[in-house]
Amino acid sequence: MTNLLLSGLCILMVLSGCGWDGEPTRNNDFTPLTSIEIVAGSSTIAAKTSATFKVNGTYSGQFTRDITNQVVWSSDSPAVAGFVTTANPNRITGKSSGTAIVTATVGSVSSTFRLTVSAATVTTLTITPATSSLSKGRTVQYAVRGLFSDTTTQDLTFDAAWTSSDSGVATVSDAIGSKGLTKAISVGTATISTAFGGITGTQQLTVTEPVLNSITVSPVNPSVLTLSSQTFKATGIYTDGSTADITAQVAWDSSRKDVATISSSGTAATLTQGTTAISAALSGIAGTSNLKTTGGNLAAIAISPNVVTLVKDTVSRLTATGTFSDGSIRDITSQVSWSPASATIATVTTPGGNLAWLNALAATPAGTLSVITVKNGSISTTTSLIVTIPSVTSIVITPVAVESLTVGTGNRQALTAYFSDGTKQEVTASSEWSSSNTAAATVGNSGIVRGRVSGVAAGTTIISAKYGGMTVTAPVTVTARTLNNLVITDNTVLTSGNQVKFTATAGYTDGSTVDVTEDTTWVIDFPNVAILIDSQNLPGQVVAVDHGTATLTASFGGKTKTATISVP
Amino acid sequence: MKQICRIIIAICLPLLFCAPANAQHSGPFVGAFIGGNSLLNAKGSDDQGDFRLSFKPGFQGSAVLGWDFEPGNPLGEGRAELEYTRRSNPLDQVKFVEGSFTGGGTVVSDSLMLNFFGVFHDGGRWAPYIGGGVGATRIEASSLKVDGQTMSSDSAIVFAYQLGAGFDVALTDYLNLDLGYRFFGSTSPKLSEVGGRSFKMDYFSHNVILGLRVGF
Repeated sequence: MTNLLLSGLCILMVLSGCGWDGEPTRNNDFTPLTSIEIVAGSSTIAAKTSATFKVNGTYSGQFTRDITNQVVWSSDSPAVAGFVTTANPNRITGKSSGTAIVTATVGSVSSTFRLTVSAATVTTLTITPATSSLSKGRTVQYAVRGLFSDTTTQDLTFDAAWTSSDSGVATVSDAIGSKGLTKAISVGTATISTAFGGITGTQQLTVTEPVLNSITVSPVNPSVLTLSSQTFKATGIYTDGSTADITAQVAWDSSRKDVATISSSGTAATLTQGTTAISAALSGIAGTSNLKTTGGNLAAIAISPNVVTLVKDTVSRLTATGTFSDGSIRDITSQVSWSPASATIATVTTPGGNLAWLNALAATPAGTLSVITVKNGSISTTTSLIVTIPSVTSIVITPVAVESLTVGTGNRQALTAYFSDGTKQEVTASSEWSSSNTAAATVGNSGIVRGRVSGVAAGTTIISAKYGGMTVTAPVTVTARTLNNLVITDNTVLTSGNQVKFTATAGYTDGSTVDVTEDTTWVIDFPNVAILIDSQNLPGQVVAVDHGTATLTASFGGKTKTATISVP
Repeated sequence: MKQICRIIIAICLPLLFCAPANAQHSGPFVGAFIGGNSLLNAKGSDDQGDFRLSFKPGFQGSAVLGWDFEPGNPLGEGRAELEYTRRSNPLDQVKFVEGSFTGGGTVVSDSLMLNFFGVFHDGGRWAPYIGGGVGATRIEASSLKVDGQTMSSDSAIVFAYQLGAGFDVALTDYLNLDLGYRFFGSTSPKLSEVGGRSFKMDYFSHNVILGLRVGF
């Protein structure tokens, strides 16, 4: 009971907080304004020049505040000095020599300032800063100070007229509010001139090629799986607003090399789960993108098949599956190294994607196994291989006939060989395949599509498979059908790092259905959420990457279907 | 909305844990309380920006009319009550961009709340309770001043809530001494300034109360 009561009190305290302790943003306008003071840079200005005033208000002696923008201005001698600039009410212009009493009024409070307008004339104009070079696209704010006949000096930026000798090279503003603001337009040389009272000041300005201003790294803050790669692009943004791909010129770096390393070409290889800042630097300018890696750290590798028995000069597909620290399991065939103990007995080739072929080259000595080591980082495992040299006694193709292959779809034929030692082996990937009528159907004869028959047009063909000097055939009839609908796996919730296979089934107007998973084009819109693990070798197989929702789109025969993938 | 849900949960949870006890009062009761409260620093906001209002601790008084649930009530053991409370806190300081300025006047809250408290009877004289309530409060800015200048004199009625805990001490079968704590808050009242603007201010306070309840 006591614990419950204490818990309740804790809840009360958390809810109650301690009141607002933020910083105020409001001025105190409750305390009365009691006096104001006019602040001027000088009590004397030359005729035809101008100057600005500032007004500080004192509130009952408690505090002061700049209240220039609340002031109503007046001059007792407008012919000597007057407030004539609408855009700058606090700017007074000297019209003729003499003295004027300037009055500032805020509500019922006012103050005066005695301004003298002299008859001095300007003798020299000096432009500052003495910037003579400017990169294309950049700006510089010039100011001009005048030296007068009475040896006084005065800022004349507002009163002088500004021009550029070549506005195609550099422009200079003569507008109120931006006088003297110069922008470099194109490479070349221009003279910036300012004139007042018959005197001219000049500044030679050379506009140089644009220089790098910033770098953006894309994709911005991507999420990818561990044991994968991410290619980054660096885009340079120059002072003139132009952009260029500078991926190859920048220096790439990863802030956490235990999470991901990055090559000099901008491709990151992810190692462990975490976040690292990928930076691209050039000429002292850098851009970054945070790379988040998900899917756990590799804990174990399993090889399928575990023990392989192959006849010499045949091949077998190998698959490496990773088990990760977060419990996820996925195909990592392309992320491991394959090292046969004897390269004369077997080799492993990885043509790309999640595909590895084991090639049996020579017989293993009797009673021995040849070991293949599979490794990623410090995690490794082995699989064993036995290579025999029996002679072929017969070969069998399955299915023995395809009676109705739909145009636009495919069907895998398999070839099994029977040997003199009583063993048999699927030799589909080690056989020669051909079609007697490629206008009706073609058959793959290389790589992973070896033995896959694709319907081209209505008709018939004979598919031939040749192995060990023997040939078998299977008749295939190709039928044209009208696609009615496409059905794919329903919306799926996936946890990060895990793999799921989506399937696509085509329904035709004659009521037949065909699994078209391998004939379908699969696309995912948000790779930060989920990716297709290998569109070529594992069509329809999706791996979740990071929290979010993505749409998987399947396209086949002009039909499109989508499914939502949610990663909590 | 989330805050309201928390309040409702805080109110209802204790009722689930209430256990029956012997010789305890059930039926109507009335009570009166006095106490002190600390009004938390409040954020005031108008179209000119935000400012901070700090208050001095104040006194409060309450009157309640309620019903003690009988032992074994399916709603749990405890009480429901209608409570009127007046709280009053002098404005101590107001902080603007320029700094802190002396305040003046008071902020008065007159609240009418419907409360539910779960009471934990264990057969002894002391019975802890916890619960809360919802209702409305009229918050009045009574001649609030900044540096002697009137800032606001206005009032507004807003939604209010409170959470509370404490101890009942059974003096007799019908008379209870109640020592308790309340956290009281409301939605921000909108009050007019002397210049014609309106400002909103927070209203949250910690309250300690002592009172008597008489059952009949």
